[in-house]
Amino acid sequence: MTVKIGFLSLAHMHAHSYARALQNRRDCSLVGVYDPDQKRGEAGAKGMNTTFYSDPLELLAQVDAVIICSENNRHREFTELAAEHGCHILCEKPIATTLEDGQAMIEACQKHNVKLQIAFPVRFATPVMRVKEMLDQGQIGDVLAITGTNHGQMPGGWFVDPVLAGGGAVMDHTVHVVDLIRWFLGKEFVSVYAEVDQMLWDVDIDDCGMLSMEMEGGIIVTQDPSWSRPRTNPTWGDVTLEITGTKGVIQLDAFAQNFMVYDDEKKKVSQRSFAEDMDSGLIDDFITMIKENREPSITGYDGLKALEVALAAYESARLKKPIPIN
Amino acid sequence: MIRVGIVGYGTIGRLHAQAWQEVPGSKLAVVADCDAASLEKAQNDWNLPAVASVDEMLEKYDVDLIDICVPTPLHESVMRRAIEGDKHVFCEKPLARSLEEGQRMVELSSGYQQKVGIGHVVRFTPAYQKMRQSIKDGEVGEPGVIRTFRGGSQFPMGYQNWFADFDQSGGVILDLLIHDLDYCRWLFGDVERVYAQSTRGRAEEQLEHAMIVLRFKNGVIGHVEGSWTNFPGQFYTRVEMAGTNGLISFDSRSTEPIRTMNAAGVRLQVGPTAVNPYALELLDMVEAIKEDREPLITPHDAYETLNVALAALESVRTGQVVKL
Repeated sequence: MTVKIGFLSLAHMHAHSYARALQNRRDCSLVGVYDPDQKRGEAGAKGMNTTFYSDPLELLAQVDAVIICSENNRHREFTELAAEHGCHILCEKPIATTLEDGQAMIEACQKHNVKLQIAFPVRFATPVMRVKEMLDQGQIGDVLAITGTNHGQMPGGWFVDPVLAGGGAVMDHTVHVVDLIRWFLGKEFVSVYAEVDQMLWDVDIDDCGMLSMEMEGGIIVTQDPSWSRPRTNPTWGDVTLEITGTKGVIQLDAFAQNFMVYDDEKKKVSQRSFAEDMDSGLIDDFITMIKENREPSITGYDGLKALEVALAAYESARLKKPIPIN
Repeated sequence: MIRVGIVGYGTIGRLHAQAWQEVPGSKLAVVADCDAASLEKAQNDWNLPAVASVDEMLEKYDVDLIDICVPTPLHESVMRRAIEGDKHVFCEKPLARSLEEGQRMVELSSGYQQKVGIGHVVRFTPAYQKMRQSIKDGEVGEPGVIRTFRGGSQFPMGYQNWFADFDQSGGVILDLLIHDLDYCRWLFGDVERVYAQSTRGRAEEQLEHAMIVLRFKNGVIGHVEGSWTNFPGQFYTRVEMAGTNGLISFDSRSTEPIRTMNAAGVRLQVGPTAVNPYALELLDMVEAIKEDREPLITPHDAYETLNVALAALESVRTGQVVKL
């Protein structure tokens, strides 16, 4: 079976790395790209060596599944459209910009009996999967506290548009870490306190923050989602977790597998990764799920729960007090 | 020549005794400790007289400065005796265990003719001083976010295990993270509000990991974190400060110039710096006396830091944000 895939919007740059992962496989084919921004869609399709469709319905009629890489606030309309046409969906994170939209997406996919998977690729980074195994084996006993960071450079573009993105650094970078921790522990977050502000960049959206949370069982967690990596940073950012348990500590630096390159010509110092490609892992999981007709490993519900924490963080910062999560 | 008497010859008293040897214009003259084994050790280490109490020290020996190195809840009473004896006073951090004690110590020292300084030693460590200078020079623009870490080592062993007694030590937040709270205040000034969490009481007593989220009056967001664990770990500290123009990043683990490997295992060494930070804080005290000025860290300054640390403990207890 060859799984036929199309892209709905290339607004999110991850689309290009997903496309490479697809095209490295023999069991799927990239049929084409639809993008409401015709210029971006045509250029992107050319780069992917595939076809640009100006009519999404024409693309949907030919594919088994779609990857939605639109702006965050358009995830719902594309998901509903794809679901109505019987296409399985891999949707970029966060699931949506409101809980209502996220819920509607889950319901649309249930109604039309298609799979909805949310793209949290960090779950597929090899060191992250290894930490999951270590925790499952009880290597550090019961988890007591986790300190996370997901720093980044300021991404610009629609990521700093409050309507299109639904939020800045806190929206962009909270959901990854929250998803990892939910997956690691199988527990939910019960409260969030957050400081959120715009202080580092000349943008009209939050660019830094600090979240302090509690989970079921009294596990305490903090997460720093700030766009605090300067332009001169040798890499885009980081995902780190320090996990303290009753019998030990795990310090995870998910993207530590790299070497340094000092380039006089470009006047640039950069980190070059030699890690296995996590986006390929995500795509493999998605395609295999369709072929085997199993449930997604990262569900719409997972996406919704991560969004819930990010939204509660904004609410907490507004009210200056911890917010309970149901 | 400033003649020094150390009161309390435990972990910090022993570090100070070593450091006093490196402070020109000073002489360690006598040590007091209520524990016979510590007294004997002091005598053996320095070939000095050792007495059982601060009262005996004041009665029998001619000292100019009392260096208070006893467990935190005893700071106030020793300081009171030293001030009654008209001595200069240097007191190890944290200033006190409670705000009331701290307030009384500030009152005791205000208008006092001799000098009173508090030992927030991080302000004298080269890396932290230079990082502050970078911030002051505007190297990363306007600061926005600071993260600090301190810990990773095994649980500290003190006299009669007093660090493990929360009522005495205040745990990781009051005894350990107060270093970074003080450093942050030195950088950014007053704190607006605090929210903090700690694992204390959720596992065995000698394992605590604490995280403090701070908002400073100047807008800076802070995350001050640290741990005491019961695992064989290596002590380290980290600082990261992001501003409108860039980032300062420090991890003590990557600044250790010497690594040794032998039958005892692998060991990384901080430094070597020519002068130790404890000697620098004590030298500041000696110079303050000579120059008739305030020491770098006054009781009032230390009280403000204590206030932040105790606010963090209150937040842990109540689960609420504490405004200062």
